[in-house]
Amino acid sequence: MEWIRSWVFYAHELGYLPDMFQYAFLTNALVSALLIGPLLGVLGPLVVVKRLAFFSEAVGHGALTGVALGILLGEPATEPFVTLFAFCVIFALLLHWIKSRTSVPYDALVGVFLSFAIALGAALILFVAKRVNVHILENVLFGSILTVRDLDIWVLLGIAAILTLLLGFKGNRATLSSLSPELAMTQGIAVRLYDYIFVLIIALVTVASVKVVGAILVGALLLIPATAARLMSRNAREFVLYSVLISTLSCVFGILLPMAGALPIPSGAAIVMLASASFIFALAIRRWRAIL
Amino acid sequence: MSVSLEVQKLRLALNRVELIAPMDAWFAPGQMHVLMGPNGAGKSSLLKCLLGLLPFQGKIYRHWQAGAPRTTAYVPQQIAFEATLPLTIQEYLLMQMSSRPFFLRPSASMLTLVEQLLERVGLEGKAQLRLGQLSGGERQRLLFAQALRRPCALWCLDEPMTGLDELGQAHFTQLLQELRDAGHTLIVIHHDQQWIHTYADQVWEIAGGLVGHSVLRPALKPCVPERLNVMQRVGG
Repeated sequence: MEWIRSWVFYAHELGYLPDMFQYAFLTNALVSALLIGPLLGVLGPLVVVKRLAFFSEAVGHGALTGVALGILLGEPATEPFVTLFAFCVIFALLLHWIKSRTSVPYDALVGVFLSFAIALGAALILFVAKRVNVHILENVLFGSILTVRDLDIWVLLGIAAILTLLLGFKGNRATLSSLSPELAMTQGIAVRLYDYIFVLIIALVTVASVKVVGAILVGALLLIPATAARLMSRNAREFVLYSVLISTLSCVFGILLPMAGALPIPSGAAIVMLASASFIFALAIRRWRAIL
Repeated sequence: MSVSLEVQKLRLALNRVELIAPMDAWFAPGQMHVLMGPNGAGKSSLLKCLLGLLPFQGKIYRHWQAGAPRTTAYVPQQIAFEATLPLTIQEYLLMQMSSRPFFLRPSASMLTLVEQLLERVGLEGKAQLRLGQLSGGERQRLLFAQALRRPCALWCLDEPMTGLDELGQAHFTQLLQELRDAGHTLIVIHHDQQWIHTYADQVWEIAGGLVGHSVLRPALKPCVPERLNVMQRVGG
């Protein structure tokens, strides 16, 4: 990370980059955006196919509780990694396990978990807020570019590497498992194992993105780019590529635009607003194609 | 090179309702077995048990003959694809034929394979159609195509002729015969009496269990000795 930052400083001193790049935190945030964007973008289509959009929303809200628990247990307030990841992963696996054991409709079950996560998180984080800074609530909910550390970037990089390997070798099988589970099973694919791996990856990516995008909005970034891409694409190839493109551009410009305009907008809000704009653009494209 | 299926005291109950009463059966290798019976008799459920897709009581064994590919082809009754999902026929097949991620550009040799497969089922030139755009008959053809993409010793087909036009039915009847003549074991759910009488080797009547069995054409003696078979337990 150090060499990227010094390289950006150097470029700034030579006058190639605008003044805002003199801040190291911006470089950190941009690098993490360049990782988060493609990660969420490539997972989005699968999430939409499997109808798991609100699942990741629930896991994102679980992050609230995770952070509060971390502070309670004495982890540093800015990076309570252990409790955050542990709580969200257990939360996600538990939700998925209950789903496979009951006949409760999935959306209702996710609704229960989602509300519970917010309630518990709100209670805990306001309880611990006195001990630390009240602004921590705002940062956890809506994301902040000021808080990205090197460790966050390394975690993102690790998840990206795992996801690339999984998609490269097993992506087709995972997709077939979600499209037609019975066909996949007759072909000897361990459908349930893929299900759990997928849920685990979603949980990890969601938690790793919370710092920049925020607990409330991280689910939206899995859903909106993929939904917009789905409107514009004629095949699965375009579906995935557009989703990655929209997600990455939203992340990068959601960080750059408020900085450039000196607007006090949380990064998560700006990113999701840009993604929503792309959704409206996609609707327009579809309409235009239908007229032609 | 084929496979036989041994069913011992198979019983299926879902939510305490018995769908299939305890039954024994022996599906001889290299034959066309037809499961027939009224709607709701448990034919599809039986087929799913044979495939290991449903949890059942009792035992099912597959006896693979030496040299037979230990793979199963399944042509389900219908698959509900979301109409708005942007996924083409070509991508759907490539996803199952190669491990190269479906969102990357496919290799030319793979594309040729897909085109040949589509020709075999009468879908030539339709590779770029989305799954949601297909008619019932075209979907059926696609399901055949995905089953045909690799050699399989055991074929399980759930009402494969549904939605097919007359030409399509004749085409796939011929295809099924070719598979049988190549020594593969076929288990087909079908309703048409005339068709069953003409093409089936063995008929299994299902109505909440096995209620009748008739052999129209007895199996030939297997050319491979029994002791070379590999026994594999299904699901359970």
